[in-house]
Amino acid sequence: MATALAVTLGGCSPKAQTVEQPAVKAEPIKIGAIVSLTGTYAGLGDPEKKTIEMEVARINEAGGINGRPVEVIFEDDATDEAKAVTAATRLIDQDGVIALIGATGSGQTMAVRGEVDRAKIPQVSLAGATAITKIFDPLVFATPWSNTIVAPFTLEALKKAGLTKVGLITDSGGFGKDGREVVKAEAAKQGIDIVSDQTFNPGDTDMTAQLTKIKNSGAQVLLMWTAGAEAATIVKSADQLGLDMPVYGSHGNARKELIDGAGPAAEGFRFAAGKILVPAAYGVDTDAYKVATDFVTRYKAAYGDAPSTFAGHAYDALYLITEAASRVQGDLTPAALRDEIEKTNGFVGIGGTFTMSPTDHNGLSVNDLTMYEVKDGTWQTVK
Amino acid sequence: MAELLQFVIAGLKSGSIYALVALGFTIVYAATGAINFAQGEFYMLGGMLGVWFVSLGLPVPVAALCAVVSAAAAGALFELAAVRPIAGGDPLRIIIVTIGGSVVLRQLALHLFGPDELTLASFTPGPSIRLFGAAIERQTLWIWALTLVAVVGLVILYRRTAFGKAMRATSLRRDAARLVGIDARAMVTASFALAAGLGALAGLAVTPLTQTAFDVGAGIGVKGFSAAILGGLGNPIAAVGGGLVLGLLESLAAGYLDPIYKDAISLIVLLAVLFLRPQGLLGGSGKEKV
Repeated sequence: MATALAVTLGGCSPKAQTVEQPAVKAEPIKIGAIVSLTGTYAGLGDPEKKTIEMEVARINEAGGINGRPVEVIFEDDATDEAKAVTAATRLIDQDGVIALIGATGSGQTMAVRGEVDRAKIPQVSLAGATAITKIFDPLVFATPWSNTIVAPFTLEALKKAGLTKVGLITDSGGFGKDGREVVKAEAAKQGIDIVSDQTFNPGDTDMTAQLTKIKNSGAQVLLMWTAGAEAATIVKSADQLGLDMPVYGSHGNARKELIDGAGPAAEGFRFAAGKILVPAAYGVDTDAYKVATDFVTRYKAAYGDAPSTFAGHAYDALYLITEAASRVQGDLTPAALRDEIEKTNGFVGIGGTFTMSPTDHNGLSVNDLTMYEVKDGTWQTVK
Repeated sequence: MAELLQFVIAGLKSGSIYALVALGFTIVYAATGAINFAQGEFYMLGGMLGVWFVSLGLPVPVAALCAVVSAAAAGALFELAAVRPIAGGDPLRIIIVTIGGSVVLRQLALHLFGPDELTLASFTPGPSIRLFGAAIERQTLWIWALTLVAVVGLVILYRRTAFGKAMRATSLRRDAARLVGIDARAMVTASFALAAGLGALAGLAVTPLTQTAFDVGAGIGVKGFSAAILGGLGNPIAAVGGGLVLGLLESLAAGYLDPIYKDAISLIVLLAVLFLRPQGLLGGSGKEKV
């Protein structure tokens, strides 16, 4: 709130909330975090901030990184590109951070690239658009599964189920637009027919026109690519309008709010995402399972609810940076930190197991995904 | 044919919602000569408060009533606290105050109810009703019924009750109304309460279909304002007409053109009306406002 007010009231207060643990007496490692605490993506930014706060406290209690405490300075971008840039400038010039986490959204992530390049500090994004790591920048990394992994995985599942005529509905914002391009390119490769290609604007409350056209297009399956609240409206409307076909979504739909919002219509809804929603999907005797269940338990104890996938993205972003920082020999400079993040090999996080390379700044693979189905008001993995 | 019917049903559904919000704009305009840009926030409050009252364990009809009444009370409070102190009731200053008020209400809702979208169960759950190959959601019937009740109730209030006649008298000639003993300031408060109540009713009725969140007010505010301008500001029946026409235009544009242009429709309509027919499609000489 303080940040939101500061931003709306002209940004007179330069310092946002900070998480500090004075247990260790050494110069703190300063990391900036740009998250959406207000605006469209507030529901995503909130768990991201909570996760980072919780994990920073944990790192500092355990003695920090090479004896130095970690300090994360938060800025709210209000899901706005211009505010994200202002936030980045402030974090870089006034706070002197050596790395950036964020932003929550794809548009905001891309918007701060100019500032990141100017300051030459590494950025680890929490947003899912392919463009973030595809339009390659040596300084930019991203923790969510990119559409280039999820779309082929999803289309293969459709093909296996014999659903080759797809009615596609996507939002016109960053995530949906990106998903639409990737899905269309991948469908052509796999011999899947997009018989109807519909779009809507973020914030739309009525999808009757799009869904009616898909209904009359001869589609065998409705495939939806959006991360917003509109997903529940689409799933519900499809049911009410009598679209007698299965509905598939994407990793953007891994939110409880969809099940609550669509109610009984959500039953049978399928989407691919990482394994955090049902940690047993990792395999119960794996490291990933232990990391995930430990995180889920601590998050529930601290905040009451189970963490969303977005919380996981924040966890991974923070630890990619701090683990890399702990490996740096000698001076911890932004350049050294960047090089170490790129050398990340087999880091077991929440979204999956990350292995970065000079050409892959996402580091995840199809093995980190699983297909979920909504059943009895909760997620189950599809065998 | 079934497709066209489906688009018309969707258009009348959205149109009814726009109509209720537009009514709020016209009522406040009639009383003050100002546009209440916080109108959309009362739409948001209606849904939010409805969800909250249901979460307290109240049955849906009671929760709905409580939500509309509390939103109306919030509207009255807003007028007393922020609008009334403005000396002389200068419309421009009222407008600026309502813009500020909308920011405060939105941030308040964010902190009271959280950032996530919230859901209300359908008033009467069940499959949709099929009609000549088109489907009508049960909640849509509720939206139509509640809009009809609200409009008829408003007409009765204005035409048949002394209170409504006092509101009309105030909007026609404030000084003359005061001379015959009408408390003009109370009428302004009542207009804010009424407008907030109607906005809240719309937000409440639509929540089972679309969910609600702290930030839904701004978007619907633009739609409602466009509908009110389209009909001709200050005329309630015309505002309802404006809402329905705007809903239909949007739905048909989404159906037969490109859904991406849907949001542009309301802005195009707004500009077209302001350029070509500033008194609105159904607006008359502008003498009688309510």
